[in-house]
Order: sequence, then C-alpha cells, then structure tokens
Amino acid sequence: GEPYVLAASLDNARHLSSLLRAVHFQDHATCFATANGLRVTVEDAKCIQANAFIQAEIFQDFAVQEESVTFRINLSVLLDCLTIFGTSSLPGTSTALRMCYRGYGYPLMLFLEEGGVVTVCKINTQEPDQLLDFDFCSTKVVNKIILQSDGLREAFAELDMTSEVLQITMSPDKPYFRLSTFGNAGSAHLDYPRDSDLMETFHCNQTQTNRYKISLLKPSTKALALSCKVSIRTDAQGFLSLQYMIRNEDGQICFVEYYCCPDEDITEAEFM
Amino acid sequence: MRFRAKIVDLACLNHFSRVINTIAKLAKTCTLRLTVSKLYFILSDKVANGGVSMWCELCQGNFFDEFQMEGVAAEHNEIYLELVPENLARALKTAQSAKAVKIKLTNKHCPCLRVAVELPSLSSSSRIVTHDIPVGVIPRRLWNDFREPSVPDFDVSIYLPVLKTMKSVVERMKNLSNSIVIEANLNGEMNLKIETDLVSVTTHFKDLGNPPWSNSAQDRDLESMAEARIDIKKLQQLLAGQQVNPTKALCNIVSKRIVHFILLHEDVSLQYFIPALA
Amino acid sequence: MAEGGVRQCQHCAVPPQLSLRTVNSSRSAFASFLFAPLFFQLYEAGGPPPDRELFRCKVLMKSFLGVFRSLPSLEKTVGKCLILLKPRASRLVVQLHCKYGVTKTHNLAFQECERLQAIFDTQRCTSSLCAPARVLAEAVVHFPPTLAEVTLGTGPGGKISLRNYVEDEAGEPSKTMVTELWLAKDEFETVAITPGSHITFCLKEFRGLLTFAEASNLPLTIHYDAPGRPVIFTLADAVLEVHLVLATLSDPESSLQPPTANGVSHLPTPSEDFTDDLESYMIAMETSAYEEGSGVPPSPTFPLCTPHPAESDPEEEEEEEEGAVPGTPPHKKFRSLFFGSVLTPGGPSPAPTQEVLAEDSEEES
Repeated sequence: GEPYVLAASLDNARHLSSLLRAVHFQDHATCFATANGLRVTVEDAKCIQANAFIQAEIFQDFAVQEESVTFRINLSVLLDCLTIFGTSSLPGTSTALRMCYRGYGYPLMLFLEEGGVVTVCKINTQEPDQLLDFDFCSTKVVNKIILQSDGLREAFAELDMTSEVLQITMSPDKPYFRLSTFGNAGSAHLDYPRDSDLMETFHCNQTQTNRYKISLLKPSTKALALSCKVSIRTDAQGFLSLQYMIRNEDGQICFVEYYCCPDEDITEAEFM
Repeated sequence: MRFRAKIVDLACLNHFSRVINTIAKLAKTCTLRLTVSKLYFILSDKVANGGVSMWCELCQGNFFDEFQMEGVAAEHNEIYLELVPENLARALKTAQSAKAVKIKLTNKHCPCLRVAVELPSLSSSSRIVTHDIPVGVIPRRLWNDFREPSVPDFDVSIYLPVLKTMKSVVERMKNLSNSIVIEANLNGEMNLKIETDLVSVTTHFKDLGNPPWSNSAQDRDLESMAEARIDIKKLQQLLAGQQVNPTKALCNIVSKRIVHFILLHEDVSLQYFIPALA
Repeated sequence: MAEGGVRQCQHCAVPPQLSLRTVNSSRSAFASFLFAPLFFQLYEAGGPPPDRELFRCKVLMKSFLGVFRSLPSLEKTVGKCLILLKPRASRLVVQLHCKYGVTKTHNLAFQECERLQAIFDTQRCTSSLCAPARVLAEAVVHFPPTLAEVTLGTGPGGKISLRNYVEDEAGEPSKTMVTELWLAKDEFETVAITPGSHITFCLKEFRGLLTFAEASNLPLTIHYDAPGRPVIFTLADAVLEVHLVLATLSDPESSLQPPTANGVSHLPTPSEDFTDDLESYMIAMETSAYEEGSGVPPSPTFPLCTPHPAESDPEEEEEEEEGAVPGTPPHKKFRSLFFGSVLTPGGPSPAPTQEVLAEDSEEES
C-alpha cells in the first residue's frame, strides 16, 4: 500500500502542537514511533530529558510499518508548521493534519488543512541522537507524591531564579514536601502538608533531600501549565521524575515526563 | 495656509484612529496631504530602504464634522505636511471617550498639528488635552515626489483570502525564512511559499476570485502563475498593522517586479507596494 | 515603591511602628510608608532589649518585592501574612499562609543601617493641591509611558496644567510632541497655589504612587515650592501614612533666588556604575561597616540646590548640623540637568555611594 513507514492523521493538530510545546526547550527533538504511538524526546546538558507521549489512540489513523521508526527533527520548525494557521483558531474550526514519513533520509511531510486552505510542509530529518537512559523504573521509586497541578503552578512561576538550585525535600515526617531555593535574596521554602487537599497521593518512605539545577527544571513549567496533575517521584540515587497528566480539549489524556539528574556538587553548608 | 477640522461623532473618531493606527504601523514618518475633500497619507520609501510605498486616501466628509482648509494659493489649494503618524495615533489613543476632537495647523514656536481633545470630567467644565505634533511643511517644488502611484501593468490581479488566516500563515513563515514567494493565477488560486535548507512550506488558497479589471490581459492562460519573491517582513507588517477590517482586499502581481496591495474599507483606501527581491 | 522605579533598597524601622523607606540610586526620589500598629492584626515589639529598641535594616527591594510578586494571586490564596524581624539571625522572615495549608517562608537577608530620612516640611511649601487619585491618574494617562518628566503648573483661569517636559536643544524646534492638559479647580479638593508657579518632576515615580493611591482610594496631596525644591506627595488614612519626595528640575532663570527651607542636600555624587546586584550590595555593606568602625567623617558633599550656601538662613544651618540629609537630588537621567546647572562639571566625590543612604539623624520626623 503506502510507501510510508509512518503515516498518521489527526483531526486537530493542536492536540499534538500543545504537547510538543510542553517539551520545547531545545531546537532539536528525537521522534520515536511504534504501534503504540509517538514519543518526542528533548534533552539538554546530559542532565535533563523531556518526553511527550502521544498514544496511537489520540490519532484518527496511526500506522507504523516497522517495529519502530526513529528520526531527529528541528522542533521549532515542526511547531511553526503545525501552527501555521495560528495557535488559537476560531471556535468550531480546527486544523486537520496528515503526517507522513517515508524513512531514513526523507523529510517529514505535513499536510494541514483549515477552512479549505491547504498547507504542505517538508521538514528535513536527521540522524537520531543517542538518548540518555535514566533507567527510572517504578520498582526503584523511594518517594512519590501526586499533586494537583494548581498547587505547583504558582510556585514554579515564582521560583527565585537567582538560586542555582531547586531543593526538593520529601519525607514521611515534617516538612513532608518542601521546595527550597537559595538565592541572592536569601532562602525561601514552600511547604505542603501531607493532608493538604492538593495532595492526591503521598507515599514517602524515607527522608530525601535532593538538589536540581533550577535552570534545567524551569522548562518543565510549560508542561506544568497545561497539566491537571503532576506526579513527583525520586529513586535512591536522587533522580527525579516529574510526570504531567495533560487533558486536551476533547478530554483525552496524554503524558509529558521530565527526568532530571540530581545536582552533584551539594555543599552541605547551606542547609537550613 | 490654514487648516482646522473637528470630529464630534464617536464612531467617526474611533474609525479615524484605527486608520491612523494602521498608518503608524506601516510608516515611521509619512506625508499628510490635505485637500478640500480628502486626506492622504503617503509613504514613498527610497529603494535603499526596501522601496516600499504606501498611499492611503480618505474622504474628509466621512470623518469630520467641520473641515476648513486653505492651501498655499487658490490654484494650488493643498497642504503637504511631514509627520510621525505614531504621534497622531498616540494623541487619539486617549481620546476614545472624547466629546470632541479638533485638529488645527498652528505655528507658535514651530509648525505643529495641534490635536485638542475635549474630555468629559467630573467638574462643571470639560477637561481639555492638547497635543502639539511637530510637522514639517513640504514646499511646493517637492510636491511632485508625492504623486499618486499608477496601478502597475500587472500580470495577475486576485482577491486576497481572509486576512487573519493570511496573517497567521505569513507570521509562521517569517519565523522560518526571510523572503516569501507570492504567486497567483487568473483561476482564483494563490500560493504563499518559503523554502530553506531545513524546510519548505507552501500554503494553497483557492476560489479567491479575480477582480474584473477592464485592461487585464485577456489572453493569459488561466492556470499560469505570476510570481514575485518579496521581503517577508514587509508583508507581515502590512498584515499585522491592519486595524481596519477591509471590505475588499486584493493584490496585483507584476511578475518578478512588484506586488501591489489594495485594501478598501468603504471610504478608506490603502495601497501598498512591495518591490520584488532580485 | 518599586513601581516608581525605586528599587535599590528598602528600609524598615520597627517599634513603635513599622516604616518602609527607600531612596533611588541617584537620590532624586524618596518614599516612606508608615504603618500604625493598628494596620496589622497583631503587632508585637520584639523580645527583651536590645531587640525591643528601635531597629532599622535594609533589604534589597527586588527580594522583598519577590515575596509579594503577584498581587492577584496573593489576594486569592493568602490567608495570613506573618512578618518577623530576627536581628540575631540577620533575617527578615516573611511567611505567607496560603490555601490548602501551603506555607511559603522567605528568609530575606538584611543589613542594619542608619536612619534614612529626606528633609522636607510640607508646612513650608508655598503651594499645595489635593485631588482624588483617580483625577490625577486619568490625567497622566495622556502622557506616553516612556515620558520622563512632567511639568505641573498653573494655567489661565486658575486651571492646573500638566505638560510633558521637553529639553530645549539650543533653540532648535523640538521634534517631540508636546502634550498639555488642564484640570479645572473644582476637580480638586483643595487648591492653594502660588499663581504662576510650576515644577518639573519625574513621572514614573509619580505614576507608581498613583497606582497605589488609586487602589487604596485615597486623595493625594501635592506640596511644592520653587523649581529645584522637592515636591512632596502625601496620602494618609487612620493607619497608614505615605510620603513620596521627588527632586524637581531647577529653573535656570530662577536659580539665583534665595534658598527656602526644603531639600537642602549635602551629598556626594552617585557612583557612575551603581547596580543593584548582590555583588555591589555586598561591597556596599563592607564599605559601610568600615566607615562605622573607623569613624571616618561624613563624605565631602555638594550643596545641591544652594548655589550660595553662605547665604542660607540660620534655621537651615541648624538642620545641617543635626546631620540630616538626603533631600532629593537628581535622578540619573536628571543628573546632567541638575549637576550641569548647579555643580561644577567633573567634580565627582570620592566617597562611596552607599554611605549616604545612611546618614545619622537624631530622631524620626
């Protein structure tokens, strides 16, 4: 039939573009497609990885001819193309998308249509990058909290960016869940009690205090903004997983996940 | 030389300030030509600056309740002024609820267009705000530089699609490329194209319709495209600056030479010329 | 305060009441907010002495502002705000108790400092005006947001005029649009001004205060004197008293007039490269510590608004002896205008910048 190794159709291109925007903190992304759906991965500084998962069910039509299809693409260009008819079209109208990829060395083709106007895009693809393997599996999770995103949005928007790190404390005892920054202005702590209405799940087995480069975590604010819930997990080495549950306009659920390495050069002196 | 005018009607005032805002978005400085019946805002950029030109024409009667002018001489009853349209836009910005706006040519310390705004206040008398906009008076020997451009001998003339759609397409394309190819045929089809090392994008519009010009080339093949590559920023500026929703918008393409846009809104017409890139 | 562009440092003095004060880097603007204990639900004056005594400290404006960054969200989420001054730990603690049991604790670093006080006396101003903040706010919207200075004056028929200040460029006609508006006397609550008087001051700081005044729905009083003398904006209710003192441009033609009571200032010129990042802040802290320790006398100063200091009246001399100071000398952008007309060019002071922010004075005014 079709000469394409990947072919997908989507009634509303915004379902894809808004998720991709949640991981858009670097120009380049690696796309990985299997029969289950599409994963778009962005990395920075060998320390942070963001993944947007778009399950096959989100698409009206999703066909992969090989076991998996991988290519690297300029994410900024892809986003400009996906939103060629604007980021917020009139109510009742939406941009339909057909996306095709012929295989290694070929461009990604996009056919977008809105109100009878058709746009055809050919975006060059590149050799996929070797991706980081965080080896973060649920069996190794030490502490886990699920919060309503509302409770974290403001906190992240107001993070003291003069602080180099964001320190996360998770503990079965007080302060339970604490976010701290140590900036020019002094320190700031944000404490969430375990019985707060924002807290959906609280499974903390041991007290852990880890620091993460604030500049690396800041981009996750984009995912946080779209999400309704966020799951915060750490493993024994202090690796952090932030999982954002995002509900699109049609009520479908997608996930964006950020992994972050702990900041290695912790100086104990500043604990307070 | 004398000029004084007055707007009382709020709808006229808002319409006028939308026109001025559009002009201000398109030109840093421009020429205001006043005649007994019309106002013109004219920009004729030198080729070195990209060679864009603009010609905006409005009937004074549709905006002003009073309009008196007296040119340099009876046989040349016109006034040409150079001004920064942004100043005029700013003066009108806080005049949205005005009881009346008067515009007057004055010459106290320097030639100025004085915009006097009468605003309602809590006190017994109205609040008056005046804005003195410095203007340069253009001498008659230079008037010839500001003659109405003639409609070029185009290959294809076509109605534009919904400007909002065109604007968002051009805005995205601007992120990807510096120039854009605009092409159209006599079958009501128009394409916007960009192409770079990374990406090529083409947006196809159809069923746009072609205006019935009497002089248009009858023997031209309906399907054959006329195209021009232009500076994408200039096109984006035109589309982004639109505050007046035109009732009719069209463009004339002279292959590889120039694209001529005409936007009509009842009593206002705006013509904009973007030369093709080499 | 920060909306007025004053963002260098913030100053608070505790018992018997909380006062927040700030002066901008060029000391052309001074603001003070005085909160009566009743403003708060609870106001406790510290523990045993020496903590009970009057305490002053300064905090970076940016840090303090960071705590209260988003007003709408504060109003939505914060139930209670606790402010603790911990001199021993050198921390100003601001704790916000929010919805869902969330607590935000900000531990702000501060440094102790001397009294910051501008010399002004509204009683001695020859002109004063009082108007609802809304009237003035609606008046200033006509000026472009980038406009630096505005001239307040009297117009024909006893009207009050506001006009954008345009620098004269050697007689050449300016290319700047001049906006002027007139307010009728009856738009004001009181008008007591010297006919023909006018002053020019920075619009940005004034706009900042107007925003506050409008939100608190309080009338604003403007006290002023001759050009070059500071203008004082005040607003007050039962629990709050606010003063904003701004430098005004001196009028070259009237610069020979004898000095009046307000705003005599003896200050070194501000340093060229004053920045409000932490580094310069730290340096400033060290400097002032050194100054205190070594008992170095106050830095050489310039008479700002008094070309003939010898002629100043005895009362004023007294004030100077009390060591009070920062009147309201120039804003950076003002400086050339100010110092150009009043000081000898190229006569900067070797004194450290920060030092003058903390002049000694006997008592609170």
